[in-house]
Order: sequence, then structure tokens, then C-alpha cells
Amino acid sequence: MTTTALVHVVVSGLATGSIYALMAISLVIIYNATRTLNFAQGEMLMISTFVGWSAHEALRLPLPLVLVIAVVAAAALGWLVERLVIRHAIAATHLDVLIITLGLSLVLRAAAGLVWTHDEFPFPSFFRERPIGLGPLRVAPVSLGIIGGSLALMLALAALFRWTRLGRAMRAVAQNQRAARLMGISVERVYSASWVLAAVVGAIAGVLIAPVIFLSSKMGLVAINGFTAAVLGGFGSMPGAVVGGMLLGVLENLAPLWLPAGIKHSVPFLLMIAILVIRPSGVLGRVRQRKV
Amino acid sequence: MRWAAAGAGGVVLLCWPLLVPPYFVFLTSLIVVNAIVAIGLNLLSGYTNQLSFGHAGFFAVGAYVAAVLTLRAPALPVVATLALAGLATALVGLALGIPCLRLEGLYLAMATLAFGFVVVEAILNLDWLTRGNDGLAVPAARLGPLALGSDAAKYYLVLGVGALMVAAAVNIARTRTGRALLAIRESEIAAQASGVHLAAYKTLAFAVSAFYTGVAGGLFAFVVGFISPDAFDVFLSVDFVAMIIVGGLGSIPGSIVGAAVITLLYDWLAAFQNYRPLLFGLILIGCMLFMPGGIASRMAKWTHQAQ
Repeated sequence: MTTTALVHVVVSGLATGSIYALMAISLVIIYNATRTLNFAQGEMLMISTFVGWSAHEALRLPLPLVLVIAVVAAAALGWLVERLVIRHAIAATHLDVLIITLGLSLVLRAAAGLVWTHDEFPFPSFFRERPIGLGPLRVAPVSLGIIGGSLALMLALAALFRWTRLGRAMRAVAQNQRAARLMGISVERVYSASWVLAAVVGAIAGVLIAPVIFLSSKMGLVAINGFTAAVLGGFGSMPGAVVGGMLLGVLENLAPLWLPAGIKHSVPFLLMIAILVIRPSGVLGRVRQRKV
Repeated sequence: MRWAAAGAGGVVLLCWPLLVPPYFVFLTSLIVVNAIVAIGLNLLSGYTNQLSFGHAGFFAVGAYVAAVLTLRAPALPVVATLALAGLATALVGLALGIPCLRLEGLYLAMATLAFGFVVVEAILNLDWLTRGNDGLAVPAARLGPLALGSDAAKYYLVLGVGALMVAAAVNIARTRTGRALLAIRESEIAAQASGVHLAAYKTLAFAVSAFYTGVAGGLFAFVVGFISPDAFDVFLSVDFVAMIIVGGLGSIPGSIVGAAVITLLYDWLAAFQNYRPLLFGLILIGCMLFMPGGIASRMAKWTHQAQ
């Protein structure tokens, strides 16, 4: 295969990979705060993207405004879910919360089906699909746009975690909840903030990816690949989430070139099982010692 | 008193096909099939705290092994077919369970979820054996000269196998193995400190759970008469989890009640396909928030108050 084609495959792999990375980041944000996995992450992404799309259809709003609406809807949804459901299960084990978010994902998907039907809808894009020439290479602007947008968001998040009071509080809670509370950090507020932040990251990922995979009640399934990405990089680590996402996106796009076509869809799952079995702490993760 | 009630229940179950229309006989068969899965899943999740979101995968393996055996080796008696389906699934369970020993909680849940997807993809790709998306029509089970074709005949097959599996599960809970599993449920560390070989028993639980689910899958193939990969998607795994959550983790009567509740709800809501996941999701959330021990713990509380 020619270098040009290879570059094309790798770039589009990086584009889907950035979306996986964003999903992984939003899962990790919630995991770091509450030590649980949000099974409904993909469905929250789907709902907020649908809300943005409805605003676009009804009012013919420009795309940047659609993004803002999706983000606001996501923030409200994340806040509501944490406040109304998760907060009440505070005494529950992590597995209990996992089952609650599983129930939530069923509810959100069914609700979306009732409101917007289970059809697929085209979603307007910031970027064009037609490949452009970049020197000798040909790349789709949409891929570059997704990669650029995701990288910008990741840098913003990194800055948030590093330099803001909220970011410091979130890192403290991730490290040691009791110590964080003793330092006067409101752990409950960090829970809320984590859900809101994760939902917002999801909404931006949703608006970026919806033009490519179409808008539908099923699009939340992309979150499973987000989990694989997070595991690949080492669950709990933000840089790991980014590396894992990119790696998964590229591998998923390259695998069909060498593997039989039939197992293309199984690649992320087989990869996840392999990583969990061989190196559960992931590529960048550290082995966590647990005390009795 | 208890024996009288059990005896009366047994007589009703035996006469069931004479009392109700065929559709209800079919529905009861499905309840028993699901109850076997729920018991198997409960042995894993309820006793050793290993939550699985991949039991639809085991169920599919059992169903396809039974279906292919019946098609390729029609002379095999149904009991042998089911035993082979169970054993094949138990082997798959071992193959998944041993590497998954290192995983706990969320990781195990995700690995089993991935396993469920892989099984469906594998069935789609082995189309020379499974006919892929077209699915397989399963001929009637044979027991010597008898062909178990009618709903009633299938019902008795399911009931017989189900009774055996329930009896076995109740007795597992009373043996050394069962006590070890219960100890693991209460505290892995305390169990290990008391000399329970954690890895061995967790693997055993995985294999036994897969065996139960595989046998149930085989029965499902016979009861429904047609299987295709889309019947075994991830939502089926979620339904199985819902059964043990509603019924009660770690309780055998709870597993049966949970299986009955979910199967009946599924049937009643058949006309409202779009609302079904909505209701199931609300049930899951509601159970976790307001009734963490499921119906079984509620029943235990009532009988306790009555005394």
C-alpha cells in the first residue's frame, strides 16, 4: 500500500482516536472522583448532541451556537443525574453505582428513541468531508478538524486540572478523598463538578463526531471504545486516556488491512480483553497497591 | 406445612400444561430457562462478587452447541446434548475465567461485556457452522424414540432439567464449596485468611456459572426452535443482570422470582417495545436505590415480621 493511502488511514484513525480519547477522559474524570464507571456516558453524549441538533433544526442556529447549546444541555444533564440519582446512592458500593448508571443508560436511550425516534440523522459539520491536498498527501479536513478540536479541548482540560482551584480540588479528591475532605475541600462539590465536566467533554465530542457517524440513539455505544481506550492507557490516568484513545483509533483503522474483514468489529473488544489480561494497569498506568 | 406447600406447588407445576393454554406453557418454560441462567449468574455474582455482563455470550454458546449437535448428530439423546452444551460452555467459562481472575469490579464487568460482543461476532463469522445472520432452525429434541415437539413436551423437559439444576444449586450452597463461596462473598480477605483458595474457587464459580448458563442456552434453543445471533446481544446480558438484581443477589429463590418477574414484564411489554428499556432501566435504578437486597431480602423481612 502506498504511503499516501497509509497516511490517510492513520489520520482518520487519529480522528476517531481523538473522540475515543475524549470519551476516555470523561470516563476517567468521573472515575477519579467517585471510583465508579459511568455506563451512561455515551447516552449523555447522545442526548446533548440531539438537543443541539433540535435547536439547529427548529431555529436554524449557526453551528457554534449549536455547540454551546449542546454543552449547556450536557452540563444540566450531568448535574441533574449526579444530584438526583448518584448522590442518593452514596452508601452503595461501586458495583451498585455501576448498575445504576447501566439503568440510566437504558432509560436515556429509550427516552431519546421516544423523543427523536431510533432513526439516523445527518448532522451539520464545521469541516468538509472532501480530502484536500497537503503537499503530496491527501487528508480530509474533517479528520484534521476533529483532531485539532480535540487537542484544543485536551489542552484546556490540562490547564484546568493544573492551574485552577477546582482542578486542584479534583486532583486531590482523586488521590485521597479523606485527606481532601480534611483539607476543607467539599468532596460533594467535586462529585458534581466531575459529572458536569465529564458531560461537557462528552457533548463536545458528540458534536465533533456526529457528522461522521450520524446522529442516532445508538451513537452512545462509542463510549465502550472510550473505556477500551482508557484501559489501554491505564485507567485513571489522563495522559493514558489520550494515548490509549489515539492508539485504539489507529489500530482499529489499520487492523482491517492485515486481519480478515470479519473480525474488524471485534478488534476493540479483543484488544480490551488482551490488555486486561496481560497488563491491567495499561500502557502508562501504575500498579495500584491496595491496603486491607 | 412447608412440605405440604412444596408438594402442592409441585403438583400444580406437573399439571400446568393441562390447566393453561399452550402459550402460557411456553412462557413458563422460558421463565424456567431464565431462572437457570439467573441461578448460574448468581453463583458467580452473588457469591463471589464477580459481576458479569457477558452471560448472553455463554447462553449463546450453549444454544449453538445444542442446536448444531441436534442438527449434525440427530441420534444423540437430548440429555447428552444438554450436558455437552453445558460442558462446552463451562470450558469457555474456564478460558475466560482464568485470565479474568486478576480483574475485579469494573474491569471484570468490562471484560465480560467485551466477551459478549466477541461471541456474537464469532457466531456471525462461523457461518459455515452457524449460518450467520440467517440463524438456525432447531429440530425437536429427541429422547430415544420420542420427539419432544409439543409445547407441553418441551415444558416437561425444561422443568425436569430445571428441577435438577435448582436442587444442585441448593446443595452446592450447603457443601464445603458453597461455604467457601459464601465466605468469599462476605470478605475475600477474611476467606483467604481462613484457608479458602481464592483463585481456585473463583475459577470454579466461573465454570459452574457458565455450565448453568450453557445448559439453559441449550434448553432455550429447543423451547424457541430458532436461534440467531441478534437474540444474544448485550441487552440480554443486561436482562440477566436485572433478574438477579430484582430477585436478590446471592439468593436462589430470589433468582427464580427475579427471572419470573423480568420474563413476564418482557412478555407484557411486547407491544410497547420502545418503553421496555425505559421501564427496565427505572427498575434497575429503583432497586439499587430503594431495595438493594432485591425481592428476596424483602420477603425475608416480611416472614421475619410475621413470626
